[in-house]
Amino acid sequence: MQLQRSTAWRWPFPTPVRPPVWLASFCMLAVSLGPAGATAADGPTIRLFPTTVLEDIQQTGQAAKNLETGLQDVIARLDQQQQLYRESKCEGAEDDPGCARIARQLGATYLEMLDVMGGQLPEMERTVNNTHASLQKRLRSELGQKMSPWTLQETLLGQREGGAGQARPGLRGRSGMRLSDRFRQYYQLVAHSRDSSGRSLAVIASDIYLDMREASDLIARTREEINRARLMEQLNQSFGLVTPEMQEVVAGVKSILFGEEEVYAPIAGPPPLTEPQAYESPLKL
Amino acid sequence: MNEAPSLKHSPHAAALLAAALVLMGCNSQNTRSDTQCAMPESRSLETATQDVRRALEGGCEERFDDYWQRLLAIAEGDPRPQNKQHFSELLVWASERGLVSRRQAQSLYNRYFNVKFVSLMGEYSNCAYTCPTKDKVMSRMEQELADKEQGLLRVSADREGYSRADRLYQETELVLEATCRACDTAR
Repeated sequence: MQLQRSTAWRWPFPTPVRPPVWLASFCMLAVSLGPAGATAADGPTIRLFPTTVLEDIQQTGQAAKNLETGLQDVIARLDQQQQLYRESKCEGAEDDPGCARIARQLGATYLEMLDVMGGQLPEMERTVNNTHASLQKRLRSELGQKMSPWTLQETLLGQREGGAGQARPGLRGRSGMRLSDRFRQYYQLVAHSRDSSGRSLAVIASDIYLDMREASDLIARTREEINRARLMEQLNQSFGLVTPEMQEVVAGVKSILFGEEEVYAPIAGPPPLTEPQAYESPLKL
Repeated sequence: MNEAPSLKHSPHAAALLAAALVLMGCNSQNTRSDTQCAMPESRSLETATQDVRRALEGGCEERFDDYWQRLLAIAEGDPRPQNKQHFSELLVWASERGLVSRRQAQSLYNRYFNVKFVSLMGEYSNCAYTCPTKDKVMSRMEQELADKEQGLLRVSADREGYSRADRLYQETELVLEATCRACDTAR
């Protein structure tokens, strides 16, 4: 029987909430740690990351760290078991007693992974919702109510137009590095932004806020689905099947936690260096 | 010998002649007007601009937008940073002569040659002013970005400037999306 054609059961998550998808949102959490306050170099002061927001974000980062730590060991075992399964040429030979035993072990480890995820998700959801709520308040106040459209674009552009060579975060996507490393990188980035320009922070805050909103929805739906997935896998244990969906989930989790290569399309990559314009029109705004 | 038909005795012929004269007069006027307000033919931006100034001073100010587009097209043939100054000086000249208002001159110059977007202006808060018409604002910015592509990139060879304008557009879209959602929660 071809593994890919197995109809023993289908992955019970609706496509949008499969773990690789919502786990990608965890990666978005990495654009988080920020200073307590930040100002544009010469522009209006914006306080998108006061202490309270910082604490919420740090807690979200810690929850992601816990998830990473909790899954690391399980993922390593899954890797070994999958390797053994392949090397034993079990694909297409599920009726073989040895292969069935390996498949059951794999399924048990997979269940363990679901348990870890299920155990961490409530805390993750709580911290994500807190971060979402606090950023929402800051965005409404700092960018929505205090700023006009003109001051907003001045903030985004920066008052000193020639100084746009500052490195910016690559947002929205996986960077090919460990989740914890991404947190460290972004902490350094945002901490540096404290003394240079607030415009990156406006973009980062917006990006985090939108991702938190999406992540919150996905986590809630995933929590509802994960019990069903666990039940189905328990039933599946009696048949000893390794499904493509299981492999897909494991691959997705690994790419998030341990940084496998992924297509990466940042919305906010570093801009090219600017040479000051020799001519300044008297009409220029 | 046959005499030519007298107009006095041929009211139809008189009417036809009168109509022909009127038409000839109109045609003559049109020809002169077309010549005065013709689009510059030169491929040199300097020469073309001089022609345009003469035409504008000669009563062709109604064709200002056409001239502007024509000069941009000519400048695309020789893109360089100095072209930006050329267009600025033309607009300053035009505003000093009252052909366009100072505000119109500013708006036109910045629409084509500045990184910032004139379609994202206003003194009221984003929650109150920008968010209710966010889609329209973004649509106007997109149109302006196309004009900046012409002004900054194809006329002034300012790749960096256009790149920053494009980036500003993308960041504005993201930030407004988030900010307006946050504003909506308070309503």
